[in-house]
Amino acid sequence: MAQAQPAPSSFPSTIPTDPTTHQTASTYISLTPHPLSASQLTTFVRSPSAGATVLFIGTTRDTFATLPVSSLSYTSYIPLAMSTLRSICSSLLSKHEIEKIAIVHRLGEVGIGEESIVIAVSAKHRQAAWRAGEEALEEAKRRAEIWKLEKFVGGEGVWRANRDGVMGVKVEPDEGKEGREGVENKGESGTLDVSEEG
Amino acid sequence: MASGKSPLGHFSILYFAAASTFTGKSTEHLPAPVLARNLFTSLEQLYPGIVDKVLSSCAVTVNLEYIDLDGEDTPQLELMIKEGDEVAIIPPVSSG
Repeated sequence: MAQAQPAPSSFPSTIPTDPTTHQTASTYISLTPHPLSASQLTTFVRSPSAGATVLFIGTTRDTFATLPVSSLSYTSYIPLAMSTLRSICSSLLSKHEIEKIAIVHRLGEVGIGEESIVIAVSAKHRQAAWRAGEEALEEAKRRAEIWKLEKFVGGEGVWRANRDGVMGVKVEPDEGKEGREGVENKGESGTLDVSEEG
Repeated sequence: MASGKSPLGHFSILYFAAASTFTGKSTEHLPAPVLARNLFTSLEQLYPGIVDKVLSSCAVTVNLEYIDLDGEDTPQLELMIKEGDEVAIIPPVSSG
């Protein structure tokens, strides 16, 4: 929650105040406006038949290339993203010898240095857990219908695209209400070649 | 989602990320039926420049299914967007 300043107006109506969660015996998926708990995920994937648990924590970074980032927020097409994440989990469960998998992603405003995605995978043996964990992250980044808006120090915002490491679409600041109404965006051609954190 | 039920003779369209910034909206209702392959042209009339700046890199879903309009194999050229459908403009994603 922001203090006195107006809440980010980029997508006010699309972030529900409650988490959206799907859980089965082997899968836990959640899109949530609340801070993420890595220990909750490792607890979920713990199993007497698992000898290995792999945990990935992706945190928001304070720069894009060399540009200082002041804040980030995530929005999502929640029903579609849930269905995509379910499909990623079920294909990993059938492809790799893993016991359980959990993927959670934060939505809304996320402070710099906070967790934006957490993935936990358990397996009998470490190799399968490592591989499935990495694949879960790569597939989620490639496919999950979630979008990151990075706001740079100085006020300009950019919708990021994971694909190609391009910078995405610039959002012009407009006085008092950064974000949507009456804002015209410009195609962005900055092809900064950087790889990204989780 | 913000869409809610669309009024008679309309479908809902959801705009995300750059599409939401460009239109200034997260959702609206547009007249149905419309051929899916004419959707971008209709949006261009409402929001000049949107095809070039935003839609050219976007995918489209109808009722949570991606549609294929430019594939040579089985393009869904006759697909009709009907009253009550939920359409979404899906820009390149950026989770993580």
